[in-house]
Amino acid sequence: MLFISQLLHLPVKARDGGDVGRIVDIMVRIDDRNYPPIGGILVSDRRRTFFIPASHLAEISLHTIQLNTTQINLEQFVRRNGEVLLNKDVLDHQIIDINGRRIVRVNDIQMALIDHDYCVVGVDVSPQALLRRLAPRSASPHIIGRQVISWADAQYLASAAPVQLKVSYNRLAEFSAVDLARIVDALSFRESAEIVAALDDETAAETLEEVSDERLVDLLEGMDQERAADILEEMTPNAAADLLEDLDAEFAKQILARMEPEEAEDVKELLAYAEDSVGRSMMTDLVLAFPDDTVADVIAGLRARHELPDPLTEIYVVEHSDHDSLQHIGSSLVGIVRLPKLLVSHASTPMHEILEEVPSIHASDPSEIAARVLGEYNLTAVPVIDDDGALVGAVSVDDALAELLPDIWHRRGTRNFG
Amino acid sequence: MSTPDVLPIHQRFFRYLRRSWWPYILAIGPGMLAASAGNDAGGIATYASAGAAYGFSLLWVMVIITVAVAVVQEMSARLGAVTGKGFADLVRENFPIRMTAFIMLTLLLANTGIIVSEFVGIAAAAELFGISRYIAVPLAAFVMWFVITRGSYDRVEQFLLVLSAVFLAYVASAIMVKPDPHAILAGLKPVFQGDSAYIKIIVALVGTTISPYMQLYVQSSVVEKGVSISEFRYTRVDVFVGTVLAGIVATCIIVATAATLHPQGVIIDTAADAAMALAPIAGKYATELFGVGLLGASLLAAGILPLSTTYMLSESLGFERGVSRSWQEAPVFMGVFTVLIAFGAVIALIPGLPLISVLVGVYVINGLLLPIELLAIVSLINNKELMGSNVNGRLHNMIVWAIVVAVSILSLVYIGWQIFEWIIPVT
Repeated sequence: MLFISQLLHLPVKARDGGDVGRIVDIMVRIDDRNYPPIGGILVSDRRRTFFIPASHLAEISLHTIQLNTTQINLEQFVRRNGEVLLNKDVLDHQIIDINGRRIVRVNDIQMALIDHDYCVVGVDVSPQALLRRLAPRSASPHIIGRQVISWADAQYLASAAPVQLKVSYNRLAEFSAVDLARIVDALSFRESAEIVAALDDETAAETLEEVSDERLVDLLEGMDQERAADILEEMTPNAAADLLEDLDAEFAKQILARMEPEEAEDVKELLAYAEDSVGRSMMTDLVLAFPDDTVADVIAGLRARHELPDPLTEIYVVEHSDHDSLQHIGSSLVGIVRLPKLLVSHASTPMHEILEEVPSIHASDPSEIAARVLGEYNLTAVPVIDDDGALVGAVSVDDALAELLPDIWHRRGTRNFG
Repeated sequence: MSTPDVLPIHQRFFRYLRRSWWPYILAIGPGMLAASAGNDAGGIATYASAGAAYGFSLLWVMVIITVAVAVVQEMSARLGAVTGKGFADLVRENFPIRMTAFIMLTLLLANTGIIVSEFVGIAAAAELFGISRYIAVPLAAFVMWFVITRGSYDRVEQFLLVLSAVFLAYVASAIMVKPDPHAILAGLKPVFQGDSAYIKIIVALVGTTISPYMQLYVQSSVVEKGVSISEFRYTRVDVFVGTVLAGIVATCIIVATAATLHPQGVIIDTAADAAMALAPIAGKYATELFGVGLLGASLLAAGILPLSTTYMLSESLGFERGVSRSWQEAPVFMGVFTVLIAFGAVIALIPGLPLISVLVGVYVINGLLLPIELLAIVSLINNKELMGSNVNGRLHNMIVWAIVVAVSILSLVYIGWQIFEWIIPVT
């Protein structure tokens, strides 16, 4: 078990004992392996810096680096893709601690012999590691204390290195959207862009919904438009509408143009409403039924659906209108059937027997009205109608809550559950 | 249901306004505040004594210094916008660890000394208005602490910007003393006196106007504000405007004392001396304006300095940073910030505190640090891997190197002097 701080600037000796120089860096090749092996070392002899491949290393001790050869290639070292320099690109840089769900700074790097190869096995993030590097070498053994994170449990940020790296971001999928968003906010722009680029569209959409506004705009404007469109499609139309409004108008139009027409329509409808209105925070994906539909009909309809709305707490019963399709809301609301009621009622019961009438709000009302109505009438969602009295959507309890809490409270709340 | 593609006309108009000059207004903050912080208690004392001792003849120096500050601040802001990281962050990642520790420690020491001097400034200004320092200082400390820890970053920035309006008091002061415009113009011509006191004052002027904490603050707040490289052109305007305005304020202070105290041969040491000395000559209002300016400027710096120092420590040591977070989210950040303000306030209240010595000590440390810090900035700004295409152009680099060399020589001369005087006390 060796630490890079113990090795840097040690003398490097050839097989015949002659001085070659001092070690200034260690190169590893980053790939999918848990513990990347050392590819070689960088040695400096006052005039130039050159590379010695790992195959020429005979022994690494705390006093010297012993080579197994006397032939050295003195060519200036030029980096290639996939190669990371531990001192320059990893030491003192930030990485993500996957288990701890936080950003940490690498204060030291741990290496060990695995199958005859020296590999990077972990990073030390303790303050004592920092102290040991600052103190004179004689004092180091007396500073005890380590906090080592296994390299397999650390997410290296490829943007720290100036070459292309094939870093695996699989483990980021373990993070909740809120944790990821917090990390994205805390990192620099380049690093956060790197992370978002590694996520699939759905995870990216979930994460971006929680990311702060300034960072969000920067991230989207830095993205390929096609990708931005794909991510926006995965978002809820409300989040997408809020986001598009903050973007440059021309850019927003281009992204909308690249989205699926249906999704783009949903978002455009929402954009028609003012920013703090009910129309903007409502959901438009509702489950509808006609008054003479039976419980069995409705449940069959739910099962036939490709995707259920989330949250789903009631069915909206609407009158028959000119177009007989249940996909199209725009008819008058008769009432709602709460889901528990639906489940316990007999299969042949028609909707009009188990529905209840509830108050509704207008799409142009300010969004706080939704919270008030929800509270006063003990509802989990309140229907929204337009000026013609037709049902256009519903505001659920969690959306109303999100509108109520001012921004900074919202962030504190999410942090507590982290 | 119809879907309108076009928003109502009034909304479109406001959206257009938003897009054209709103970005510039939104960008105001980091540059303006960093520059204003340079006109703190120590700065005001230096400008006032420069005006009193040399009249208008140092104005040309102020012009050159203002240009130098603008160049340096712009580089710091650009570093923040491109890398998204603060100065301490970048130093930690790109320089040897011992260098990082040295820079951080000297900054911590220097900044703490300056924080103390701000609270002393607040105490002096309060006493000009007849308020005991034992009430004014704790109150001021509490107010700054409260506003900064309770607000989001944007709110805090707005509060500080409003506070900096206080500098208009100096502009008013300068106008009220009815300076001779010909004398001002004459002062803008570079005339170099060779004596040691003259050079000393120039060194003091440089040291107080280009302070490392200003560069750190502008970079950290650009990062916290979330400025990206595409928006940087707006921030660049904020930096230049802020520096020029601060330069104008400094010039007004010099003008105010030059027109009144210099002809009488009055020598002053502290800002409070300047305010009091103005009274019999310039009238009550000029004095009171001066006092208000001192109070406001010291308050502003008493907020910015602890913030800048805490940013620096959090970046290099790795604890969570941010004004916008709560106590639970960033306890170490809040804790360090609180300790810095409390410490500054308490020390400032110690009776018989040798303020001048403290300030001299601080300037010596800053003088040591400034060349190193400037070299670090130049190295980072020219690092292609870090900055991509945003590195300095060749002409830009030449100007920057000229500034670095000049400032470094002045700093080292100043330190040499201080050591010399310390070893051989001047009787």
